[in-house]
Amino acid sequence: MIVSDEELMLECRKGDMSAFELLVRRYQDALVNYIYYIINDYHRAEDLAQETFLRVFKSASRYEPKASFKSWLYTIATNLSKNEIRNRVRRNTYFLEDMVDEGEDVYHSEFMIDTRYQPDILYEKKERQQLIKKALKQLPENQRLALTLVTYQELSYEEISEILNCSIGAVKSLIHRARQNMKKLLIKAGIGGGVNVKI
Amino acid sequence: MLKYKINECKNVQVQLSAYFDNEVPTWKRHLIRWHLKQCPDCGCRAKAIEQTDKLLRFVEPVKASDTFLSSIMLRATTIKATQKTHQSIFNRLGCFVESLQMWMRDNIRSYNLVYTFGLIFCVFTMIGVTLYSPRIEKLNPFTQFRSKSSEVQQERLISFEVILQEEPKRSLKIR
Repeated sequence: MIVSDEELMLECRKGDMSAFELLVRRYQDALVNYIYYIINDYHRAEDLAQETFLRVFKSASRYEPKASFKSWLYTIATNLSKNEIRNRVRRNTYFLEDMVDEGEDVYHSEFMIDTRYQPDILYEKKERQQLIKKALKQLPENQRLALTLVTYQELSYEEISEILNCSIGAVKSLIHRARQNMKKLLIKAGIGGGVNVKI
Repeated sequence: MLKYKINECKNVQVQLSAYFDNEVPTWKRHLIRWHLKQCPDCGCRAKAIEQTDKLLRFVEPVKASDTFLSSIMLRATTIKATQKTHQSIFNRLGCFVESLQMWMRDNIRSYNLVYTFGLIFCVFTMIGVTLYSPRIEKLNPFTQFRSKSSEVQQERLISFEVILQEEPKRSLKIR
């Protein structure tokens, strides 16, 4: 029998640390992945994911199972990520990944790893992934959030509307526009031109 | 006829993303599917959305590091310890009331929230009265007058004592 997140959270409220551990195990990868797609920095994404879980733990005593736990968790993560982006802009902080030219993979580039003896396919795959990440980064903040939540976290439109604090109609239009823009950006980057159609 | 078709195409194209994510009702889903079979232009747009989604999923997901869980649990344990030490008197009082309510729910058949609060009020009033019993003199308004009159009497007595002439112990001799 699978215990629901809300039940685990109620156990956590009573002071059961194993329930909290199970919750962290359930969501750690998904949350780190989600924050990573938004802020594009792995180590900072881990820090923010930890901060998200600790905030959940701190407010466990006040938790009431009214809304979905998943939505609540992602709302905290989204707010933290938004703050991080704003602070970064304010501090004019640039990461190594931001300074690399288009199509160049920072972790697999020549000065980091020697790719001469690796198959071409692997290199192409990495390059393509980097291009997609770069295109995703160019989307407006809300569109990127909505698209990441629906594509990588596989949340429903209702859950996304709770997280982004907007109507389901607004989420529909956000995702529609995000896909349109993404398609344009991918064609511009030289990938995704298989179907030549304006969307 | 052509105008109707253009309108239909526009409606379908707006719904395509939601259709792709299974976020449209079943009846609408059937209509859109039927339209996509009929209209090559809209079918092509649906394919484009599918391809964009495939490309997005092409990116490999990252995973949390091995130390992630242990680090969180360590920090959570520390937080729990500090929370316990800094637990305020109100929280403790709240816990006491809660446990009392639980006890009453289990042990008293005619459990009622009003009774609980009534009982708590009585208990606390009794404790308060025992610990901080007020002086009866303060509560009685006539005690002030009584005390005032006694003060006046004392003053009079003092003044009487002052006025009362006593024979000097040593008399001055006048030459």
